[in-house]
Amino acid sequence: MEIGMLAIGLAVFTGIGAGIGIGIATGKASEAIARQPEAAGKINSTLLIGCALAEGTAIFGFITALLILFMK
Amino acid sequence: MEQIKVRLMEELQTPVAFTIPLFGGIPVTLSVVVSWLVMGALILAAALGTRRLKLRDPGKPQLCLEMAVEFLNGFTKNNMGAHGPDFAPYLGTISLYILLCNIIGIFGLVPPTKDLNVTAALAIMSAVLIYGAQFRYHGLRGGLKKFMEPMPLLLPINLMEVVIRPLALCMRLFGNILGAFIIMELIKMMAPAVVPVPFSIYFDLFDGGIQAVVFVFLTALFVGEGIKEEE
Repeated sequence: MEIGMLAIGLAVFTGIGAGIGIGIATGKASEAIARQPEAAGKINSTLLIGCALAEGTAIFGFITALLILFMK
Repeated sequence: MEQIKVRLMEELQTPVAFTIPLFGGIPVTLSVVVSWLVMGALILAAALGTRRLKLRDPGKPQLCLEMAVEFLNGFTKNNMGAHGPDFAPYLGTISLYILLCNIIGIFGLVPPTKDLNVTAALAIMSAVLIYGAQFRYHGLRGGLKKFMEPMPLLLPINLMEVVIRPLALCMRLFGNILGAFIIMELIKMMAPAVVPVPFSIYFDLFDGGIQAVVFVFLTALFVGEGIKEEE
């Protein structure tokens, strides 16, 4: 029971990585748009793709946590 | 804690709406019923919205529709190259469907995208589109050659992507919607009045919209990568 709870907490920790990654990506994207406002469309689409991929890790962590919670 | 766990367990299962009394009973889940509702609403809107289209002197609704179609064609052309607009109808349909499925939680119905089977079906459709388009536009030899790009060393990684792409698409949509749904249920459990409203706007409307865009955008990008011509 206790060790399972610990495992769930650790699995949800993947959210930190996704948060840092998306934060850095968004910060750089706004820098890039400030420098080159005419390229905003391309930067936006690249940013969206990057965010979606970075967010994937958090989602996988979340699903792992759910699986541990329910399969235990 | 135990009570919350039992509640979450109930949320994770897809409830059976009714059973067709054929061949010993075919269970029809609620997600199928809500899916049909969404499809019916979309078909009705499409039929009514495109009834009296005029070449001369178009009304305001027609201008809005034309703008949407123009936007979709431009978007696919920008992101997928010259063959992009071929895929515009499919991508538009799927984006409307996912969007409506995601935000239907607002009306008190269970979002169908909370069911893993629905998102898996959508992801498999996307995978078939991605690799079907790759072989359609490059032929059998050219399509197989596409797996060896940018260099033959990357062949195993490209083959792995055949499985990973739909898996990631499916899990991303499912995880996001399920996560939002569970958080909303927890908030409703703690504070049933007033408090859930701003959270509902974020989790149901904003997150649902973003996820619909991301799903369609990723599909479009993968297809575009597959059908891209060499410069």
